[in-house]
Amino acid sequence: MASEKELSDFLKNVEKRAFKRALYAVRDHEAALDIVQDAMIRLAEKYADRPAAELPLVFQRILSNATMDWFRRQKVRGALMKNFSDYEVAGEDGDFDILETLESQDGSTATESASDSVSRAQIMLAIESQVEQLPGRQREAFLLRYWEELDVAETAAAMGCSEGSVKTHCSRAVHALAKALKAKGITL
Amino acid sequence: MKNQNTLLPGGEEALETRFGLRVAVHLNDAAGQLPHDLSERLKSAREQALQRAKLVRSAQIATSPKLVTRGSVAALALGGGGPRSDWWIKFASFVPVLALIGGFALISDVHTNAQIKAAAEIDAALLADDAPLAAYSDPGFVEFHKVPRD
Repeated sequence: MASEKELSDFLKNVEKRAFKRALYAVRDHEAALDIVQDAMIRLAEKYADRPAAELPLVFQRILSNATMDWFRRQKVRGALMKNFSDYEVAGEDGDFDILETLESQDGSTATESASDSVSRAQIMLAIESQVEQLPGRQREAFLLRYWEELDVAETAAAMGCSEGSVKTHCSRAVHALAKALKAKGITL
Repeated sequence: MKNQNTLLPGGEEALETRFGLRVAVHLNDAAGQLPHDLSERLKSAREQALQRAKLVRSAQIATSPKLVTRGSVAALALGGGGPRSDWWIKFASFVPVLALIGGFALISDVHTNAQIKAAAEIDAALLADDAPLAAYSDPGFVEFHKVPRD
């Protein structure tokens, strides 16, 4: 059972990322705050007796459900379809290679660093904007895998889908992001 | 044109992971730069959630001694604390109510039987006794005999 301090530390650690995740999905500050608060309270009321190690996975699941609940309440069908259209192909990748977006920091001197031409804040905004534009399931898989650092199995459990789907969503998200950032002249 | 870089098996996945983690670094930076008012509101939400957790825990602590005192025998027999013992405790809490209802039914039955028995004794005594002669001169008694009986 997680102690009061463990629960507090966990929430403190996760709250800002949770807010951002909700914000990417609903694109409304007030709604995102409500969703995070709702998720925190649900966790505290119903799952505070779980071991501390289980809290991240449980919380991500609660947050996803709270976001879905928000969409249901709002009945914004258009937004729902747009944000959860994970079946649509984000566009042909063609000959695009993700390596091209990573080379600049791998010892290559051929290209200049992104921070030389674009400010760090602008890069952040561009990345956030592209993450926001990802299809909902791709974004969720990407953020859970790489931001929340869940493994494939945990991500699949949090999203309620198969591990294969998680891998597909993540791969598509990475390629879509890499392509979009490269088009903006941003390399990571 | 196809990229010239050749990747080992699994290399694509490793590249995706590296890219994802680098994006995550920037996302962390962005999350760390939330406006102060939003940070404060998140803090307030967190404190509210922790308060709820504290209430839930104190409620659990308050109820658990009752479980021990009310169902100590059952708790010991069943290993205690599990959902099965909860079910027994709920069931046990209905036993006094059932006993009360059963008691009322029993008292009512005994009382009715006593009334019937008393009436039967009076009837038997009346039927067994001879009526005094003076009774036949009583108009009420005569009228009583004329009334048809069920």
